Amino acid sequence: MRKNRDDMELALDVPQPRLRAVPSEAAPLPLDASDAELLARVGERDRAAFEMLHGRYVRPVFSLALRRLGDRGHAEDAVQEAFAAIWRSASTYRPERGAAGGWLYTVARNAIVDRLRRNGPAADAELPELASAEPGPAQHAEESYTAWRVHRALEELQPREREVIELAYWSGMSQSEAAEYLGLPLGTVKTRTRSGLARLATVLEGELL
Amino acid sequence: MTREPNFDELVGAETSDAERERLRRAHELLLQVGPPPELTPQLRKAPGFGVTHLPRRRVVKRRALLLLAATLSVAAVFAAGYTVANQRGGSTSSTLPRLLALKGTAAAPHARATLEVWRSRSGNLPMTLSVVGLPKLPAHTYYEVYLIRNGRPWGACGTFRVAGGAHAVTLTLNAPYSLRKGDSWVVTRPGAGGVEPGKTVLRPVTA
Repeated sequence: MRKNRDDMELALDVPQPRLRAVPSEAAPLPLDASDAELLARVGERDRAAFEMLHGRYVRPVFSLALRRLGDRGHAEDAVQEAFAAIWRSASTYRPERGAAGGWLYTVARNAIVDRLRRNGPAADAELPELASAEPGPAQHAEESYTAWRVHRALEELQPREREVIELAYWSGMSQSEAAEYLGLPLGTVKTRTRSGLARLATVLEGELL
Repeated sequence: MTREPNFDELVGAETSDAERERLRRAHELLLQVGPPPELTPQLRKAPGFGVTHLPRRRVVKRRALLLLAATLSVAAVFAAGYTVANQRGGSTSSTLPRLLALKGTAAAPHARATLEVWRSRSGNLPMTLSVVGLPKLPAHTYYEVYLIRNGRPWGACGTFRVAGGAHAVTLTLNAPYSLRKGDSWVVTRPGAGGVEPGKTVLRPVTA
């Protein structure tokens, strides 16, 4: 395995990754491999499968960590620890016991909670003069899982769909402004937005919809 | 407030009622959860596992010894500093800005913005940025909001794009940091070669 300086620095931040990744001799991974298939391959120390799984879940894990820890530095550390835990324990995943996404959520959440226990939450910089609207623990957990699923589902979109969805929802642009910004016909932006929403709905169907 | 996307505008009138309801639920979920956080270059790369490490127990033990030695040596200094900080109002939450006005720098002289800081939620500090007068950037480049600490860019709070100087944009951002007294924000545009943080285009209006 190639070892460059970045690999060394990143690896040193991860707790007890003492097992070496070995090149997989299995068949190449299809891009649409399911999470369960990837986990099975990670359990066999398949580095390519791990990287694919990381690409799919790093943003939801980071989002979850930020929600729980409230500090970007701690959250980044927790992400590293969560993926180290996934690497270590992937072989314990049993598909018959539940969906891979749920298993990954549990492993990630546990890693984040471990970090929370070790460091304690970051000092909260709330504005004391405003009334609290903080959710209770149950609502908090439900919101965290919803965000996890939706952010994971966003990773399923084609880049061109994701781009228009992000512009529409989080950049404050109208469809016309997005079309002008992207240099695309308005109809194309509308089509991509609609197909992106439809894909999200399909991915999320049965779990949240 | 943030311009909320109009579902009817997004979906159009050509879909069936059943499909429309399916899409509406996805639409509502996107509004509910907000944007995923931006990733640092380190996070974008899967962690490496190709290095054999010292057993963690030994590392922890060594770290613990170092920590103990450091703790003993600075305990007196820490106690004194803590007392002084308290006397000077070291707590920051009551001094946070609630509404910050920003004006364009020479790089964007016609730009104006307000940044509203909201109560912390789920570990994030929501903010609403309303901005007008920023020029449109080349494709795949973004304006970035930076938290300023001790006079220097300290942490990224989010990115955005604008359609052009005439278009006002209002968006929500999150600062997943613990704020301190004196913290402020600026907006930057990408530097040469994509270096971040780039050139400041909006900075706080000073009294």
